[in-house]
Amino acid sequence: MPSLPKRKVGIVACSGEELPAGSVTRLAALKVLEELRPSETVTICLPLFLAGGEGDRAFAKFYPTIAVDGCAKRCAARATELYSNTPAASILVDDILAQHNLPAPQGLRRLTPESQPVVDALAAAIAAEVDHLMAVRWSRTDGAILEAAPAAQEAVSTSACACGSGIPVTTVQIAGRAVQIMALEPILELAYNQGLRANGTAALPDEILQTVQVYNTVPAGEETQYAQALDIAWHAYCKQREGQSNG
Amino acid sequence: MSKQVIIVPCSGIGKTYGTVTREAAYVVAEDLRPETTTIVPLSLLVLGDEEARAAVQDAQVITMDGCSLACATLNVRQAGGVVAKDFTVLDVFRRNKALKPKGISELNEGGQALARALADEVAQTTDELIAGGVDHA
Repeated sequence: MPSLPKRKVGIVACSGEELPAGSVTRLAALKVLEELRPSETVTICLPLFLAGGEGDRAFAKFYPTIAVDGCAKRCAARATELYSNTPAASILVDDILAQHNLPAPQGLRRLTPESQPVVDALAAAIAAEVDHLMAVRWSRTDGAILEAAPAAQEAVSTSACACGSGIPVTTVQIAGRAVQIMALEPILELAYNQGLRANGTAALPDEILQTVQVYNTVPAGEETQYAQALDIAWHAYCKQREGQSNG
Repeated sequence: MSKQVIIVPCSGIGKTYGTVTREAAYVVAEDLRPETTTIVPLSLLVLGDEEARAAVQDAQVITMDGCSLACATLNVRQAGGVVAKDFTVLDVFRRNKALKPKGISELNEGGQALARALADEVAQTTDELIAGGVDHA
């Protein structure tokens, strides 16, 4: 059975163009992504929540996100919650200003040099939140922190989607070829936790194929082959879970 | 309808072309056509902010997108706005292949020039929309 990839944290910046603080969120997010925590973070493009970015929406459903907003409207936090999942953390520029006693940033197209400390302080706050989220256990089912204890040592590794979103992909054999299924293991985990089980020769629960189709394109005419491959993965997953609970 | 033409860049955070749209929007709204254009942040439209939705519903809108997903155009339409003209950076790049953009946080010289080329086209379209005889009462 495939195992889970190293977790990543998604950063959603409002990037608002009409306020200097919007540019601050953008630059701070990029600083974290490019300099401070490049291995632990990915970008989540806010407009893609509406424009059909399945990878972006799926990421925020299964993994922790940090929303970074430039004003009290909190577009990034609220839109993430509206279209995907409640952000694990939400940071507001005004709060950073208050905490560090910094002046309000100035400049839209080009932030003034005096605004750079605000970018740096915000980036540091995001990075600290990334560290916190990487150190706790995260429930992909509930989209929330399970407990504050450090996560168990990563004993396994698996591939993440090539799109860079960090979503796990599982490779299955379909009609003699290797096919990658995005987010299969979290989907099976969700089904199992909802009480579904693989019972002998019973057919694959419809919910599993339907959910797989949300995040993957199943070519027309190949539904049966996909269902057969998913059924094999489903039985293996249930067997593994039952073994864990018995052991 | 408003006399202002609304400019909506995608400002995609993960790609250079997204930064080109953002820069071009500022060039238009601050330098080239400050009297006749206004930027509406895409994040507000994504959230469904009433003021932002009203703005795009009450004016002619020019969108600028950095990739084929066309987030700006799609989000304006979903907000009930009519896109008078949609620009994609790739199209402008095809017309200006010497301008090779690099950088996300900060555009290189080629990126700045490409943003200016995009902004020039947007400014021209703005003039055409303003002169188009639309009832701006």
